[in-house]
Amino acid sequence: MKRYLFWIIALVLLFPFSCNAYQDYQIGEVKVNSGPDLTTVIIPVKKGTGYVVRELTEPPRIVINLYPANLDPPYREIRVSDQFVQKIRLSRDSKNVVKVVIDLNTPDYSFDISLQRESPAVVAEIKSAHEDAIFQLLKQEKNSPFRSETREDKKGIYCIVIDPGHGGKDPGAIGPSGLKEKDITLQIAKKLKSLLEKNLPVKVILTREGDKYVALDERTEIANMVGGDLFISIHTNAAWDRRVQGVETFYNSQYVYGEGAEEVASRENTVFASETLPSKIKNIIWDLIQNQYRSESKALSRVVQQSLTETCGMVSRGVKSAQFYVLRGIAMPAILVEVGFISNPWEERKLKDPEFQKLVALGLYRGLRNYIDSFNRKVSQ
Amino acid sequence: MGNLKRKIFLQLALIILAFIIGILIAPLVRETAYQIKSWVGKEKFQAPVEKVVILYFSTPEGEELIPVKRKIWMEKESSINNEIKKVIEELIKGPESDSSIPTVPPETKVKAIYTRGDTIYVDFSSSLVEKHPGGTSGELVTVYSIVNTLLENFPRYSKVQLLIEGSSHHTLAGHIDIRNPLSRNEGLIKSLER
Repeated sequence: MKRYLFWIIALVLLFPFSCNAYQDYQIGEVKVNSGPDLTTVIIPVKKGTGYVVRELTEPPRIVINLYPANLDPPYREIRVSDQFVQKIRLSRDSKNVVKVVIDLNTPDYSFDISLQRESPAVVAEIKSAHEDAIFQLLKQEKNSPFRSETREDKKGIYCIVIDPGHGGKDPGAIGPSGLKEKDITLQIAKKLKSLLEKNLPVKVILTREGDKYVALDERTEIANMVGGDLFISIHTNAAWDRRVQGVETFYNSQYVYGEGAEEVASRENTVFASETLPSKIKNIIWDLIQNQYRSESKALSRVVQQSLTETCGMVSRGVKSAQFYVLRGIAMPAILVEVGFISNPWEERKLKDPEFQKLVALGLYRGLRNYIDSFNRKVSQ
Repeated sequence: MGNLKRKIFLQLALIILAFIIGILIAPLVRETAYQIKSWVGKEKFQAPVEKVVILYFSTPEGEELIPVKRKIWMEKESSINNEIKKVIEELIKGPESDSSIPTVPPETKVKAIYTRGDTIYVDFSSSLVEKHPGGTSGELVTVYSIVNTLLENFPRYSKVQLLIEGSSHHTLAGHIDIRNPLSRNEGLIKSLER
């Protein structure tokens, strides 16, 4: 009897060890669908597993780090050898991290990665770069990397893209009385559009006309596709303290190497792939394009901030720069205006008033007009 | 002799049986097993040590970040990931005085921390997005109070990647790009000379 007791204890003690054999977050069998113009890689994961993506060049490859995740056996390789994908390598990188490397056959690609919720899986879609709208625009720039020349050829600013912030399922910030940012930004954008079209020889495009959800990169794509000359995104601000008030205008700050530089560098690499420029010179050209827009965006921010605060009589919090998702990748001077704090009860009440909205639109219009006037003067000289 | 052989055989069979039963039943009692493991671990209790950390909170105007010193208790010989978690949780608690204001929704939980190379990955619960007031100003102080606090207290790292429920997001509230690891933002820190 005593001996059986011993074995029962042994059995209980073995449980934790058997548990380790049953590690959570195992990666399932990777599936690859090779289509005529699209390769889909499906990596089944457990619920709760997340991913971080990196794009690397020379040779072109996409690296996906899965966490938390486990792989058994710790290394797997899948040969694909289709139009885009050469092979897929999976390896256990460190504790609870699995590294998936998709080795590509061509530097001429674009990709999209998403997390499938039902039957959890990380899905990577690799397709030809030519289907990417931004890539098309960048490719056009290949012939004239200094875009100011292109714009001077056109002599002036003809197309303004207005981006009413948020919309649809994304209400934006919500005021203390329940006022939604998405409604205010659209109302102001429409008023600004009619002011611009009535008084200036410009075409105005809105990134959304109604209460519709438009993803941030779609907004960027719209602006680039229509060939806009200026981009203005309208938002209402919010702060942690309800007393905070005032107007702020932002432009995009420089992307420092290391922060998304891989992405920029790889796009740049794709654009100039056919040329045999050393990578150092390629980077300088890219920086010059970026710098060109940044200084123009900064100048535009200043003019708009000044005329908006003067027209509406609101507190100026100044011109600032930050890394905005929506401004990134826009091939024209671009700014984001926070026309007041919806989180402040007093400013919320003002923003709701159609008369005050008209005043905001007028302030923005005057700023844009001043900028366009001085730009056109410079061009005609 | 035969009896002894049979005994050894029986014992071996029992060991194998224990393994098989263990493996079969383990998934059902995994939670309990982990609990037993953590109870066993708890016995190695060591007195916590006091540590001074620097937390970045927002100015009431919501434009700048102010460094605030705080003494916290840390487990002796706790792993770097645990220390990082502790510091972030302290940041979520918010400031103790009225001269600065919180930057992270108090409901936010830190789900996981992992470090790799020069980057700290912090996985937050969805409350960070859902309970966020929104606005570029509100978003800027949230993102950089987390980034600056971590890089200040753990200088061996130079970048912080924010994750929400295990995956990288485009933005927290529709403005600031958080897809990639972020470096310290000096521009937002209130200069003491002023």
